[in-house]
Amino acid sequence: MDFNPCMKHQVVRKTVREFAENEIGPHAASLDREGRFPSEIIEKMGPLNYFGLQVPPALGGAGLDTISYAVVIEELSRVCAAIGLCVSVHNSVGVYPILKFGTDEQINRFVPDMAAGKHIGAFCLTEANAGSDAGGVETTAKQTGDGYTVNGTKIFVTNGGVCDVVLVFAVDAASRGPSRPNVFIVEKSCPGFSVGEIEDLCGMRANPVSSLFFEDCRIPETNLLGKPGHGLKIGLTALDTGRIGIAAQALGIAQAAFEAALSYAKERRQFNSPLTKFQTIQNYLADMATSIEASRLLLYRAAAAKDKGEDFSAQSAMAKLSCSATARTVTDLAVQIHGGYGYSREYDVERYFREAKVTQIYEGTSEVQKMVIARHLITRPS
Amino acid sequence: MENNALDIIVCIKQVPMVSELPWNAKTGTLKRELAQGMMDPASRLALEAGLRLKRAGQRDEHSIRVTALTMGPPMAEEVLHQAVALGADHGVLLTDRKMAGADTNVTSFILGRYIKMFRADTGLVLCGAQTSDSETAQVGPQLACELDWPAIGWASDIRLAQKTVVVTRLVDDFMETLEMDLPGLVTIDLGAFVPRYAGLAGVAQAFASPQIDVVDARGLELDRDFNALKDSPTRIVDVFSPATQKESRVLKGAAKTVVDQLFTDYGKIISSAMGKDLKKR
Repeated sequence: MDFNPCMKHQVVRKTVREFAENEIGPHAASLDREGRFPSEIIEKMGPLNYFGLQVPPALGGAGLDTISYAVVIEELSRVCAAIGLCVSVHNSVGVYPILKFGTDEQINRFVPDMAAGKHIGAFCLTEANAGSDAGGVETTAKQTGDGYTVNGTKIFVTNGGVCDVVLVFAVDAASRGPSRPNVFIVEKSCPGFSVGEIEDLCGMRANPVSSLFFEDCRIPETNLLGKPGHGLKIGLTALDTGRIGIAAQALGIAQAAFEAALSYAKERRQFNSPLTKFQTIQNYLADMATSIEASRLLLYRAAAAKDKGEDFSAQSAMAKLSCSATARTVTDLAVQIHGGYGYSREYDVERYFREAKVTQIYEGTSEVQKMVIARHLITRPS
Repeated sequence: MENNALDIIVCIKQVPMVSELPWNAKTGTLKRELAQGMMDPASRLALEAGLRLKRAGQRDEHSIRVTALTMGPPMAEEVLHQAVALGADHGVLLTDRKMAGADTNVTSFILGRYIKMFRADTGLVLCGAQTSDSETAQVGPQLACELDWPAIGWASDIRLAQKTVVVTRLVDDFMETLEMDLPGLVTIDLGAFVPRYAGLAGVAQAFASPQIDVVDARGLELDRDFNALKDSPTRIVDVFSPATQKESRVLKGAAKTVVDQLFTDYGKIISSAMGKDLKKR
């Protein structure tokens, strides 16, 4: 058992860190303040393969393993969590389900442009009455002629304001009673598709999270993803992968907050001593570092399990549960160590503090992660 | 360039990433194994120059092959993977405990020995003008001496012509263009280019099919009693951080007087910072 990162993962980390610190870092605070999606940065990231992290090179992707994917999201989020979110969601629940469940025709039609960053992906499950309860989806799809007509409204769609390709969950309109959902690949050019207002959120403000409307939205038959009625399986598989991304995002936020707190504690003096001389602050820093390290191990273990082809559902739920909790506590302590300055927009830790919370909510709340973990514990053979 | 083919070797050094460097107080050398490594920024620009020549060569249907060459501990292999990820065709690591502690003189000797033994058909060697960790600017010129090749230092632009290389560089306050026969060696100045970022596909590819050769002291047929540290004529007498001094000066008087005095006393500094001659209107 070797816990040291291999040279490849170190090079991936350094590669992403260099780009993120140079090209994104100087703008991260203002993007958050202005709530602006940085198209100019996204355009630079496309040719560097950030939007095809695990897409095979033959389709224009990087062909990286899942640990590398986690490292990429962690490093992007360490600098700007909103961009980390965009890249994570695009790769894990936008591109990945098409690669895994799509036909050759669908893969060749959608994936190359998505891998190049020309088309941004999104995933929409959540509705006014559905989210954690995936069975509560009320958006309907009616088979009409050579395609489907979709009606419904999706809310809180990450990348919603800039998406070009959306995976949409919808139930059969003709079915009476509970129906197994289907997943459709919807292009923004489909008639009847429209984007709502950008949400005014607490954090991740540079990501254009929005509602999406489907009003008699016409979708060709060839855009049904996977077998009819297999939508739930596709969704759960996508979310298992997505959770690794969000766990990595949470870890990146925690890492950034820790580094800021450590740096500040070394410089800030009280009672004629730097803060690091005080045992209370030392305890805070030790707790933060330990929590980050433990969460990081869970995250890489989940990613390694996926790379080995093992069942990683419970592992990714544990990683997401742990990393998001770590993000919350570490960003809280980082603000505390900064004192009054931590509550000011002059310092980045208040942004980290706001951003951390949502990692316990989206891609499955912490409560849902516990359901997934418990189900795994209870149902696996003893 | 014979047969429209040119082999370029770019010398790359792995340098410590942190500014607070762990030193071996006894030898006055860096404890490189404790420091996080990175590709030396000047070496990165030399690689960028090589990759641009390769791209320009492709347009002119020349076959240009870029090899990244480094000497260092085993962990220095990392910068070769980075070089391949950025676009180099191949990487070569010269590593052996006997090579540890080499000064610029012995480093140049070892690099030169490799090139003479294994890559005698190399047409152009590129180096960073000076590395960020020791800033001697000696390895490039010394390596040219080892190879008995002509060399040009501090290039800010470089292009290939028929069997020659044309180099532009800043000398004092003017630009100089030189043409040099190949084979030859050019060192690249900091700020010459904006280096490209590595794509993640390049990183994955660099590790999926590694293009790195490792050569040790035996491979270079170095004497059994060869010891880079002992054989290095340079002795580091002391290493310390210099105390920096700032001197403030307040100019007083009427605005015009103050501005005239400012430009009389500091005009050259301001001109160079702004990148233009302030005397020209």
